[in-house]
Amino acid sequence: MFGLPDITLIVFGVVTIIAIAALVYWGITFKGHD
Amino acid sequence: MAELITIAVVSLYFLAMLGIGFWASKKIKNTNDYLNAGRSLGFWMFVLLMIGTVCSGMSLLGVSGLGYKMGWPTMWEQIFVPLSIAFCIIFFGVKLHNVAKTAGYVTVQDYLAHRYQSPTALRTLAAVAGIIVSFIYLVGQYTAIAIVLIWLFQIPLWLALVIATAVTMVYTAIGGLYAVAWASLIQSIILIGGVLIMAPIIIFYAGGFTHVNEYIASVNPSLAMPWMPSGAFAIPYIFSFAILLMVGLACAPHVINNVLAIRDVKYFKWAPLVAFLIYLIAMVLLKFTGFAGLAMVKEGVFSLPNVPNAGDFVILYGIQYALPIITLWAVFAVIVLAAVMSTTDRLMLTIGAMFSWDIYKKVLRPDADDKSVLLLSKIVVVLSAIGTMLLAISPPEMLASLIWMGIGVMLATFAVPLLAGLYWRGATREGALAAMSLGLVSSLVVGFLNYFKTVAMGIEFAKIPMHFSFYAFVIAILAMVIVSLLTRKTPDKILDETQTGWYISK
Repeated sequence: MFGLPDITLIVFGVVTIIAIAALVYWGITFKGHD
Repeated sequence: MAELITIAVVSLYFLAMLGIGFWASKKIKNTNDYLNAGRSLGFWMFVLLMIGTVCSGMSLLGVSGLGYKMGWPTMWEQIFVPLSIAFCIIFFGVKLHNVAKTAGYVTVQDYLAHRYQSPTALRTLAAVAGIIVSFIYLVGQYTAIAIVLIWLFQIPLWLALVIATAVTMVYTAIGGLYAVAWASLIQSIILIGGVLIMAPIIIFYAGGFTHVNEYIASVNPSLAMPWMPSGAFAIPYIFSFAILLMVGLACAPHVINNVLAIRDVKYFKWAPLVAFLIYLIAMVLLKFTGFAGLAMVKEGVFSLPNVPNAGDFVILYGIQYALPIITLWAVFAVIVLAAVMSTTDRLMLTIGAMFSWDIYKKVLRPDADDKSVLLLSKIVVVLSAIGTMLLAISPPEMLASLIWMGIGVMLATFAVPLLAGLYWRGATREGALAAMSLGLVSSLVVGFLNYFKTVAMGIEFAKIPMHFSFYAFVIAILAMVIVSLLTRKTPDKILDETQTGWYISK
C-alpha cells in the first residue's frame, strides 16, 4: 500500500498508534493539582 | 535583485516581531515576569511555545535534508521529536511546576540546588553546562537564517546575520518570555500553516505519495524500509536515537524551563497529545518533501547545488520548482525565519536566565536587588546574540555535528540528575555531581572520538553501533547509582518538599 513495503507501514503505524493511545490515556487519567 | 514585494513580506514579519517586543516590554515588572512571563501562559500559548522551541530552523531544513539523504529510516525523527514535548511535560513538567509554584523557582537550576542541597556547586555546573550547550545550538540556528536570506535576497552572509540577529535580539531583550511566547504563538502558526500548505504541493508535483515511495524504493530498497541494514539508522542506532531525542531534547534547558511558565497545571492534561499530533503531522509532511525532492532530483526535474550539505537545500529548490512565484518564496523565507527565531529567542533568554539568576544572583552576588538582575538578564541576552552571530559568520566545518552533539551533551549532562532527583529518593548531592560532571565530560570525549573517527583502546569510534551520547548517558546512570549508594542520604524533609518519589503527581 502507498508504494511501501508492509513492514514499513506496520512498524510506523503500530508505534504511532501506541504513542497516541498512551497520550490519550494520560489525558484521561491525569488529575494534577495546583 | 529581490523584488519589492519580497522585501515587504519579510519586513512586515520583522516589524510584527518588534511590535510584540515593545508591547511585551510594558508587562515586565520584575525578573519573574521577564524570565517566566509571570507564570501566566495559557494552554495554546504553552503548546505553541513548546512546539516553537523544539522546532528550529535547522530542523526545518535538516528534516527534509535528512529525508532526502536516507529516506524512510529517518522518519523515526518525526516520532521521537514530538514525543520529547510529551516526555518533558509528563515526566518533568508536572512535578517541577507544582514544586516551583510553592518554592518560587525561577529556573530549573533552582530545583537542582534545592533537591540536592547544593546551592553553589551543582547550580554552577548545571548553569555553565547549559550555557555552553545553548551557545552551540544557537550558532547552528543563525546559520539556517543565513542560508534562507542569502537564497532569497542574494545578500552577503554578514548582512543576513546582522538583520536576523538584530530583530530577534531586540524583541527578546526588551520583552523577555512574554515576547518570546507571543512571538512563538505567531511563529508556530506561520510554521505549521506554511508546511501544511506548501508540502502537499511539492509532493503533488513530484507525482504523489505512492509514486514517490515507489521511486525511492527503486533507487535503493533500504530507503523505503523502517531501518537501515547497518550503521546509522540500523535498529541499535534507532534505539539510542529515541533516547537522545525524547529525553535529551526534553531536558534541554531552553525546553524544560518552559514548564515553569504555565498558569495552571491542568493544561498539562491534554498538552502532550495536542503538541504531539500537531508537530507529528507537520513534520511528517516536511520529511516527505525530502523524499519528494529525492525523487525529483533522480528523475532530473531539478538539480541541487554542488555543496557537501546539498540535502539541506532540497526544500528550497522544491519550492522554486513547484511554486514559481517569488512572493511565495518570501512567504517560505518567513516560515524558516519563524522556525529559527522561535528557538533562538528562547535560547538567548535561557542563557540570560542562567547567567543573571543562577550564577550572578545565586552564587556571585546573593544580595543583588531584582532591578540589577533584570538589567543583567537583558545585557546577557544582547551579548549572547552578538557572540553567537560572530561565531556564525565563519561557522566551524563541523557545525551540523556540533548541533547533534549539543543534544547529546544535554542528554548526558541533565537527564540523570533530573530524573533521579524527581523519582528516586536515594539520589544524593554527590551522586548528582558525579552524574552531571561525568556525563558532560564523557559525552564530549566520546563525541569527539566519534567525529574524528579515532581508534583508541581497540575501539573504532566511527563504527560504534549507537549514538555516542547513549554511552555517556549509561556512564551518568552508573555514576548516579554507585555514588548515591555510597554517600549520605538526603533528609526526608527536603525530599518531601521537592515531592521526590516514584510518582508523577499525588
